[in-house]
Amino acid sequence: MKISVMTDVLEANDRIAAANKDVFDRNGNLVINLMSSPGSGKTSLLEKTAEALAGRMRLGVVVGDIETSRDAERLEKHDIPAIQLTTGTACHLDGNMIASALPHLDLNRIDILFIENVGNLVCPAEFKVGEDDKVMILSVTEGDEKPLKYPLMFRESSLLIINKTDLLSFTNFSMEEARANARRINPDLEILELSCTTGQGMEQWLSWLTARRQRRLESLGRA
Amino acid sequence: MHEMAFAQNILDIAVAAAQRGGAKRIGKINIVAGELRGIVATQLTFCFGIVAQNTIASDAYLNLETVPVTAKCTSCDEAFTVEDFFYICPRCESTNVEVTGGTELRVKDIEVE
Repeated sequence: MKISVMTDVLEANDRIAAANKDVFDRNGNLVINLMSSPGSGKTSLLEKTAEALAGRMRLGVVVGDIETSRDAERLEKHDIPAIQLTTGTACHLDGNMIASALPHLDLNRIDILFIENVGNLVCPAEFKVGEDDKVMILSVTEGDEKPLKYPLMFRESSLLIINKTDLLSFTNFSMEEARANARRINPDLEILELSCTTGQGMEQWLSWLTARRQRRLESLGRA
Repeated sequence: MHEMAFAQNILDIAVAAAQRGGAKRIGKINIVAGELRGIVATQLTFCFGIVAQNTIASDAYLNLETVPVTAKCTSCDEAFTVEDFFYICPRCESTNVEVTGGTELRVKDIEVE
């Protein structure tokens, strides 16, 4: 006997992500799901962002790692409320893990909540957490062909940050090639070049965030 | 290894559907998987074998039907299959294309006893 099912495999996760989104809507949070390979500079970018926006914007971070709370400790030094999720074996954060972190955050006092995903270029792109935007980082030491090797994440992201541009001259990374490969996967992808070390691109990143925040408030009728 | 999470979800969905239908064993689970989801069939089957142990789906065969990535040009309406993630209209070379298939991942039906 055959039973018709037609259920999305990620239906349970999507349902929890939608419930998270309702919570974020009520609190007026802009939520950014930050994804990349390990070591591409997610935590450094958040540290620099916190320094630049101190006193202007209230940030919060939920950070996922397989082990240790080092990232949360780094972020707390910048007075950002940071909740560390240690995933054990899971290679990504999902809707349910984020839901478990929410009671520990004073969302009412957060303007932008960053979900710093587990370092991985594949799985995080599959699982919605209730975010407004997926933003990914590709560092120049990883290679310009990565968009073609890991298309889903590039396809799902609104913004690609090409990080560590200060190291460009030490690598064979072609900025032109990387941009062309990324746009081939996602023609609507916004791309900005950045270096946490020199500060290049930080202004554009902050402008992007501020514009997204404004748009979010407008869509919630809070602007 | 997103396959492990997917395997667990597939099991939960299939077992719930079988129980609703009053079935005792699941023989086969038909899954529709878009190419954009990057599912490795052998890994999914391997993970499923682990999570399905001691359940009514422990002997179930996972049948994966792969769906190619398809798109429609929003400039000239041409429908086409996207090969090698090349999102460009083959007729007018526009990059304004809308993905119409290849992102799905669902349990289509199950065969039960």
